[in-house]
Amino acid sequence: MSPRVLIADDESDIRALVEIAVRRAGAQVLDSLPDGTAALAAAGRDLPDLVVLDVGMPGLDGLQVCTALRADTRTADVPVLLLSAGASPADVERGLAAGADTYLLKPFRVSELADRIRELTGDPR
Amino acid sequence: MSAATATPVEPGAGPWARWENEHRSVALRNLPFPVLYACALLVLATPAADATDPRLVLLSAALVAAALVLTGVASARTLPPGAAALVPLLELAAVGPLRATTGGGASLFTALVIPPVIALAVDRRRRGVAVAVLATAAVLVVPQWLGGMVTTVPDLVRAVFTPAALGVAALTVNELYRRLSDRLETVGELQEQQTDLLAQVEMRAAELELLSRRLAGANETLGSVIDAVTEQAIVSCDLAGVVRVWNPGAEKMLRAQRGDVVRRRSVTSLHLPAELEAARTAHPDGAHLSSFDALVAGAATHGSEVRDWTWVREDGSELTVELAVTPRRDGSGALAGYTLVATDMTAARAADRLRDEFTSLISHELRTPLSSILGYLELVLDDPDEVLTDEQRQYLATVDRNAHRLLRLVGDLLFTAQVEAGRFTLRSAEVDLSAVVRAAVDTSRVAATAAGVTLETDVLPGLVITGDADRLGQVCDNLLSNAVKFTPRGGRVRIALDTYRRADGPVAALTVADTGIGVPADEQGALFTRFFRASTARRHAVSGVGLGLTITQAITTAHGGTMDLQSEPGRGTTFTVVLPVVGTPATAGTRR
Repeated sequence: MSPRVLIADDESDIRALVEIAVRRAGAQVLDSLPDGTAALAAAGRDLPDLVVLDVGMPGLDGLQVCTALRADTRTADVPVLLLSAGASPADVERGLAAGADTYLLKPFRVSELADRIRELTGDPR
Repeated sequence: MSAATATPVEPGAGPWARWENEHRSVALRNLPFPVLYACALLVLATPAADATDPRLVLLSAALVAAALVLTGVASARTLPPGAAALVPLLELAAVGPLRATTGGGASLFTALVIPPVIALAVDRRRRGVAVAVLATAAVLVVPQWLGGMVTTVPDLVRAVFTPAALGVAALTVNELYRRLSDRLETVGELQEQQTDLLAQVEMRAAELELLSRRLAGANETLGSVIDAVTEQAIVSCDLAGVVRVWNPGAEKMLRAQRGDVVRRRSVTSLHLPAELEAARTAHPDGAHLSSFDALVAGAATHGSEVRDWTWVREDGSELTVELAVTPRRDGSGALAGYTLVATDMTAARAADRLRDEFTSLISHELRTPLSSILGYLELVLDDPDEVLTDEQRQYLATVDRNAHRLLRLVGDLLFTAQVEAGRFTLRSAEVDLSAVVRAAVDTSRVAATAAGVTLETDVLPGLVITGDADRLGQVCDNLLSNAVKFTPRGGRVRIALDTYRRADGPVAALTVADTGIGVPADEQGALFTRFFRASTARRHAVSGVGLGLTITQAITTAHGGTMDLQSEPGRGTTFTVVLPVVGTPATAGTRR
């Protein structure tokens, strides 16, 4: 069974782009949600194999969701990939400090995102 | 002591000499004898007494006259003081002949020797007593020998006994005199000390008055200066934190009157309690500190401290102040309290925050649609199932190129905003600068070829420096793309990298020289200003927004390097960037 990926981004166009990358990486989209609060609930409920989070979201942002996931024993080991439009080194550091496994800057190449998803879901291909 | 109060005596004269000058005139000391002698002469004129030899009386009177003359002369102080001692001796000598001619041992006038003997005894030294005893003995004996009279045994006894008795009396007088004069000397010294003290006290009082007048003047000036400050709050407190000074600036800023605050409130009551508590906890010794200690800790340790604090007015409204805290010392240098000078930064900080928010908003809001554009373009261009026609591919490549250009522009704007805000940081590591330069050359080669510009390189291989690889790449890209952009077709751009040793260590020198349109001399200084574009660039219709050189300069400075240009309109421009090989990059990121 292919890895299940949870996606959270407030931009539907970007969500669609991430979904394509997930499928290209040989994984399946568990859910694709527009805000952090829903994503945190879904992650706790469905225990995905990977969470792709946008940093700049209304409500709970990506960093907060990431911190909350790490604090919850059920989701503490779930890999997290952060996507952000913030470009400074400090942004990247904050993301990694919050417990993300990988940090990708927007705009990203779809092929690169797919590669990262493959790495994090342990797909040997 | 001032000259005006000095007693007119010769320099070095002691108190005793002064007393002598004022109170012990030679005349006074020798007055009794002439009076007694005059009486003796009167007695001699009566039948009660008779002189056997009038010549001896004349001799005696002559000696007395000589003594009187000497007294007068000595009183006028034209003779040395020793001369005055001759007066009693002359007087004693006068007694001799008179006594001899009036009956010798039986003479009425033997007692006349007493006043001169006393006069000789009245002296600090005992020598006068000895002189008086010997002189008296001589007076009693010598005239009789000279007169050829028979010296009887009673005469000899008298010549020994009378001087001895007189000597004892003279010794007593001398001793009394010495004691008295010692006392007087002590009293004189005390008086002098008292005079000195009095003069000193008067002088001190005058100085004190002058000082207090000056102090009052200085206080008044200081007060008026502090009161004139209306846009800064000047607050001074004692060591317990109680407010002692509250200027009109503080009244205006915190809307609290001086009378309601001075001696009534603590400076900590001006602060947001949570912020003070945070400062206290953040301090290494926080557990042992009061919130006032936490407020002045920086000033107490480093002499002064400037940082932002939040002050709270009585109505609960808050303001952000930039607060300078400095220790206040009293006249002896002991810590007496602290002075706080606050500038209301509420509006300025709000503007800073707004600018930061705007910057990140721009970044986010522009990058997000660009992410979509570039992402979907990639999908279309790389779709193996839908092969595009060459024409379609070319159109979409144009879209892609322009989207990237827009993205770079957003990046540049964000970067310059970060530089402005002082929040730009380098990620320093060992960087192969030669490789960075070659990569930049490769990147710009396409554009150079398209523009008909020749690229020449003279890059020293393997030059490694400490720096931020991405930012250094940006420096090279900016300089090269500028050079290509501003050089007309057929021109040349030469890029060189070299290293040399400077006094402060080895440096890397990157030179980018073009044969382009150049920058007028009067515009060269402004070239690194944000959004500035040279007149030649505008005239030649070369596109750009004027951020590249600002960014290049900022990165160079952050690496501890310098950037220079030489340019001549129509001939070309040469940019030189000099970077330390072992850099100590400026640690940006600290804000004010």
